[in-house]
Amino acid sequence: MREKKYVIILIFLVISFALIVFLTPIFWMVLTSFKEKGEYFTYPPVFISRTFDFSHFKRGLEIGGQKGIIDSFVISSLSTLLSMVVGSLAAYSLARFRIGGKHLAFWILSIRMMPPIASILPLFLFYRFLRILDTYQALVITYSILNIPFAVWMLKGFFEELPAELEEAALVDGAGRFSAFYKIALPLIAPGLVATALFCFMFSWNEFFFALILTRSRVTPLTVVIAGMIGGHEILWAEIAAVATMASFPVIAIAVILQRYLVRGLTLGAIKG
Amino acid sequence: MKRRTRSRFGGLNIEKHMPLFFILPCIIILVTVSVFPFVYSLFLSFNSWELAMGEPRKFVGFANYGRLFREPRFWDSMWNMGKELIFGVTSQFVIGLLIALLLNRVLKVRSLISTLFLLPMMIAPVVVGCNWRMIYHFTYGPLNYILKMLHISREGFNWLGSTHLSMTSIIISDTWEWTPFMMIVLLAGLQSIPLELYEVARVDGASRWQQFWNITLPLLKPIIIVAVLIRGMDAFKIFDLVVLLTQGGPAGSSETIAYYNYLVGFKYFSVGYAAALAYIQLVIIIIIANIFLRFLPEKEAVK
Repeated sequence: MREKKYVIILIFLVISFALIVFLTPIFWMVLTSFKEKGEYFTYPPVFISRTFDFSHFKRGLEIGGQKGIIDSFVISSLSTLLSMVVGSLAAYSLARFRIGGKHLAFWILSIRMMPPIASILPLFLFYRFLRILDTYQALVITYSILNIPFAVWMLKGFFEELPAELEEAALVDGAGRFSAFYKIALPLIAPGLVATALFCFMFSWNEFFFALILTRSRVTPLTVVIAGMIGGHEILWAEIAAVATMASFPVIAIAVILQRYLVRGLTLGAIKG
Repeated sequence: MKRRTRSRFGGLNIEKHMPLFFILPCIIILVTVSVFPFVYSLFLSFNSWELAMGEPRKFVGFANYGRLFREPRFWDSMWNMGKELIFGVTSQFVIGLLIALLLNRVLKVRSLISTLFLLPMMIAPVVVGCNWRMIYHFTYGPLNYILKMLHISREGFNWLGSTHLSMTSIIISDTWEWTPFMMIVLLAGLQSIPLELYEVARVDGASRWQQFWNITLPLLKPIIIVAVLIRGMDAFKIFDLVVLLTQGGPAGSSETIAYYNYLVGFKYFSVGYAAALAYIQLVIIIIIANIFLRFLPEKEAVK
């Protein structure tokens, strides 16, 4: 469609305005992380700090940020690994053999949509019984509720796009099904695997509800650390903003890396294909 | 061919049952961490079990459900969630659709712009809560400063500290966070509409408004239904922002059903009652989903 020049300019102005509205809170966070104590407790608010020092990042790491980053990283990586292994096998089975038909695939997806509050109570009791509350494994297993259905559906799409001829040729040559999957299909969808894994990592990294309930003091994921910092009576805004900025950094990096797959990953379940 | 015969194991043909072996780990994990808990939750909801008191669990039939319907706090928290469901999802849809329509008309740099738009829904909800907690601050927050500067309000609004505004503040933050989702889903829907349809309509002399009303909206309908349904189901889960912004206060004015359920389960440790609360939500969600999906045209299988 061809547009008149002034229409295009008008559209760009409106979009720019919307973009500013949607990005300002994020900028505000980054700017606050550089502010001195006097600067975030003044009126009128200081928008850009006079001193750009990184001391709050250091302080933020010291008061729990570092432990939070390590714990979140370990939990998210392990959960991603588990979900990718289990998910890719299941996705291959669904895509190539149509096992269970449409119903099984939808059942897997629907698990992701259920309110977490309905499953957390029995899980909590179960983990208490096993004495694994406040450990990595409790969260790694729990996050598979979110990550496995996601990985299955993302990878199922990638496998379906892959023509089956290559694997069939390998089968004719005497290869087993598993090696056809492992040596041929998997390497061919490598970009899809990376994208799916990064999404799984991001979901686990950002998760708060399960993390809050299933951890105490030994394991402290980053989201729980940040929420805990807000609860105290003296709120150290610059330190919180610094930790929050660090928590957002991997996510923003993922957004840049995944540009091509963003829509597909974030709208999974809403759009055909 | 030799391989095939070798992969027999105790009379069981592994190669033949390969599809099953592939999917088994997934099903086992999901059943243990998701299906089993759901079933156990249903069982718990018929029991009274006050974990904090150290009392043994005892069967009470539907007593928890009866208590729930008589509890004003349940209805209040449902209504607070309902506000998010009605006003939050609607504003996300309207703003999201507007931005999607505009973005659909500019062809260049769309990828970069939509990536930037997606950031609010990608950063952690806890971080979103932190940001808005700073922004809403009564005396030092930038929002009140801007409102005063523009002479919209003289003293600024007590966003998080007043019973009238607390839920509105949560809805605004949630709208900020999730409008990008609506935008991206609707944009994908818009792009799947063939351009020829509009060309034919223009030749026939249809106005922009008629094109929107008679082509865009009807073709977008399945995607709108699914997107609104997903966000509607998410409204039941709204928790992170409540914890970070208001903790349900002041005076319970922003206590949503998810937060109330969390308090009952993990602060008061009334396990049976909490399970009943969770189950009633599950039933409502399933009913809503079925009503919504009924409006979906049969052929358009939406994943």
